[in-house]
Amino acid sequence: MAREGMYLSEGFRRVELSMYEFESMVTRQRKWMLYFLALMVIGAGFLPYHRVFLGLILGGSVSFYNLWLLQHKTEVLADSFAGSGKKRRGLGTFTRMATAILAVLIAHRYEAYFHIIAVVIGIVSSYFVMALDILFRMIRQRKYKGD
Amino acid sequence: MEALAAAIAIGLAALAAGFGNAMIVSKTLEGIARQPELKSSLQTIMFIGVALVEAIPIIAAVIAFMVIL
Repeated sequence: MAREGMYLSEGFRRVELSMYEFESMVTRQRKWMLYFLALMVIGAGFLPYHRVFLGLILGGSVSFYNLWLLQHKTEVLADSFAGSGKKRRGLGTFTRMATAILAVLIAHRYEAYFHIIAVVIGIVSSYFVMALDILFRMIRQRKYKGD
Repeated sequence: MEALAAAIAIGLAALAAGFGNAMIVSKTLEGIARQPELKSSLQTIMFIGVALVEAIPIIAAVIAFMVIL
């Protein structure tokens, strides 16, 4: 009986983990992006490489917006197909491309303030965050299976 | 010549990403329609796939504009 109870609670735990998997991933990624931006602000304030850090802040902000937009659009699209939301189409690819180009144009227009390569590195920062998050998740899952 | 290079870069990257995204999204939505209780995990996989596929045209667009400017 106790063994059955253990299996039952384990099953519920797995269902619960699966239910909140997307939400927890979204929260984690936003948290890491905010940590990254905070570090860049500290760097711009205290270190001598102002142009580089300002470029990273500009690129990182655009990247954070792109990440937020993709998370939001993915959720809305899946909700609409699960039958709990209104019908939506598209994932906002054009908006994300346009914001990245806007960041490059701003960096090009105000070249005295922004380092353009740093802006490009900032734009791809959310993908690094995503890749690290996937890596940590895989390691944690492997540990969980090992237990 | 730079404009042509930029157009080819953006065009090919967007074409490839369009096909990739279409496949990912269609299969995921098919899965959600069949098993709505797996929505969260399928959503996670779709999000990761779409993000990785879309990284290429975004970087291509940025590089193309850097070539033009």
